[in-house]
Amino acid sequence: MRIFDPHIHMTSRTTLDYEAMYAAGVRALVEPAFWLGQPRTSVGSFVDYFDGLIGWERFRAAQFGIRHHCTIALNPKEANDPRCTEVLDIMPRYLAKDGVVAVGEVGYDSMTEAEEKAFERQLAMAVEHDLPVLVHTPHRDKLAGTRRTLDVVRDSGIAPERVVVDHLNELTVGPVADSGCWMGFSIYPDTKMDEHRMVAILKEHGTARMLVNSAADWGRSDPLKTLRTGEAMLAGGFTESDVDTVLWENPVAFYGQSGKLILDPIEDAAPTGETFEGNSVLRGPRPDSGA
Amino acid sequence: MSTLRLGYGTNGFANHRLDDALGVIADLGYQGVALTLDHAHLDPFGPDVAERTRLLAARLDRLGLAVVVETGARYLLDPWHKHQPTLLSTDPGPRLDFLSRAVRIAVDLGAECVSFWSGVRPSGPDAVDDETAWRRLCGGVGTVLEEADARDVRLALEPEPGHFVQHLAQALDLRAELGAPARLGVTLDVGHCVAVEPKNAAECVREAGDLLFNVQLDDMLPGVHEHLEFGAGELDLTGTLAALMEVGYRGLAAVELPRHSHAAPEVARRSAAALGAASWLAEAENRVRADPASARSLFPAVGRKVGRAALRPDTDPHGLVHGTVDDRARGRLLAALSEVLPAAELAKEVADLYRYGDGAERRGVLRALHRLPAGAHEVREAGLLLVEDALRANDTGLVAAALGPFAAEHLDAHAWRHGVLKCLFVGVPVAAVAALHERTDAELVRMVGDYVAERKAAGRDVPADAYLIGEEAGQ
Repeated sequence: MRIFDPHIHMTSRTTLDYEAMYAAGVRALVEPAFWLGQPRTSVGSFVDYFDGLIGWERFRAAQFGIRHHCTIALNPKEANDPRCTEVLDIMPRYLAKDGVVAVGEVGYDSMTEAEEKAFERQLAMAVEHDLPVLVHTPHRDKLAGTRRTLDVVRDSGIAPERVVVDHLNELTVGPVADSGCWMGFSIYPDTKMDEHRMVAILKEHGTARMLVNSAADWGRSDPLKTLRTGEAMLAGGFTESDVDTVLWENPVAFYGQSGKLILDPIEDAAPTGETFEGNSVLRGPRPDSGA
Repeated sequence: MSTLRLGYGTNGFANHRLDDALGVIADLGYQGVALTLDHAHLDPFGPDVAERTRLLAARLDRLGLAVVVETGARYLLDPWHKHQPTLLSTDPGPRLDFLSRAVRIAVDLGAECVSFWSGVRPSGPDAVDDETAWRRLCGGVGTVLEEADARDVRLALEPEPGHFVQHLAQALDLRAELGAPARLGVTLDVGHCVAVEPKNAAECVREAGDLLFNVQLDDMLPGVHEHLEFGAGELDLTGTLAALMEVGYRGLAAVELPRHSHAAPEVARRSAAALGAASWLAEAENRVRADPASARSLFPAVGRKVGRAALRPDTDPHGLVHGTVDDRARGRLLAALSEVLPAAELAKEVADLYRYGDGAERRGVLRALHRLPAGAHEVREAGLLLVEDALRANDTGLVAAALGPFAAEHLDAHAWRHGVLKCLFVGVPVAAVAALHERTDAELVRMVGDYVAERKAAGRDVPADAYLIGEEAGQ
């Protein structure tokens, strides 16, 4: 099984996760910019985070044979903090970078005015920079939040096939399917959405425009939930080709709209001793640099 | 996105059937062809030429290819003598007949012009002096022009190295002598400019201006008339394409690689990639001049658009010494920026491009610092801060790029010596250090000597470059 995880926060994960993901068939992923457990209080904190997404984390993933891409955004929660919103002025620089394949995560958290303003402005940026958009839907008041999200997306004028609305469930999938946007599902341990409910949704709605992700981060989560969903699909009567559509072809088609995906295999996934700005991820023996 | 219309010459596909060649050229994204009439490619003396011309016009139309007619076939008129007879021959009859047929074929194909050259001044028993050659040429061109005027076809005279008319200035003189006929212009082969013109190709383009009816693209080395792939000679392709855009050239610019038919599809593919990169860069430079803030989104895109290969991969596989294709392209964008921004604003913009840049972008800034106006103290001071930042990093690409000509000229002795020592530590070849010989002093030699002693005491290898420093100091 080849797997493209279209939404996972590797910054918060360990090298053991990278190894397990590679073994499970993960060869590419997208890490959306989001909030950290600890709120940010300045633009500089965002900039360092963005630099990490396009630099250190990409390097770290490559050490384990995985192509790392990212999305860049001011997330909905921190859009409410005026100390953070100036990052919107710096964002265009990052949207132009290699490996930045979408604007995201944008959308609503608590459905405030500040969130909506940042959401609308970033949808406009996506149009200007010719990038797809990854939209987060709120965990509280989800159905109403999803409907309002779809209104804002429609009013922005962006083509619906360039938008994925994420963290959906049985109640919110319908309106998104009707909108023409892509449908994203985050499969968690125990809560929100699991792989068996996911299979039922795929049976009802088909595999077109469907993205399945682990959304693994610093909270309780499982970076192998993509694999588990693939296994559940096979057990539920889907073919290997269906699984490949959902776990590989669909994310490639969606993020491929950026023109910035890099998917050729990393030649030697075994430890290389390569360093990023002088730091190796692999520890242990490395070529003597004389240092 | 380019305003230029790019094509490919069918004489570079001599081993293909014409229909197949056109298919490949269209599939590679070219917008037109320079069609060399030849025995195997629409023989103008063939019995069924009218019918085949009609079919060819239909095929060009289906493929969406524009066309210019080229008349440089080698043995079309005389199986024994290349390019003979010419307009300068004692009997130019067959040449005049050929060019007249070419004009009629151009009409039937909807071609944008017919391109031709003067030929070599006859020597041996038929030798003539320059005056006679000039008279014959004027007469011949005049005859062909009558046909062209009657059929509303444009003619383009190509200066050809070794021919009687080999410089652009001669072609323009001839046109003036004929009374500046509206339907007579020039073909410019930009490789020829490198080989024989006193000016570079961009300057030739500007000189020809509105009289440029047809353009051929290829690379060459000075003094050598050998058509080379882009990058193999000394043509500034980006600057040349920029000049074509600047003069508002609307005709076809077609790749001219007649000696590469043996590998035509691959050569055509590589050429398309090189042209795509160069025209993107030429337009990016224009955008930066018109709107300096656009550099903030163009600078990061450079690697995707022009590639990332080392400039001299044989001796410098990682580009540590000579840089990479994207380094060089970023240097051009910074040069464009420095043309339009006052010093203080330039210093801030460059510092921000570095601050918000990834490793490749930072390297691009460092390698171009010496191209910025160093007379301005704001630029000099900003550049020094960037060099110092890069020398604190352990990224070998940044360390190598930091010690270029800018650091050689402006970095203080202490910081510069520590930079050189760091090269030995992190494995950057000291060949990357600009002015190593001029700036090596006794203190650096002492530092390197201590380093060598320390390595030896620990039983570790000593990098060969450590001894090079001593040699630079004459020890």
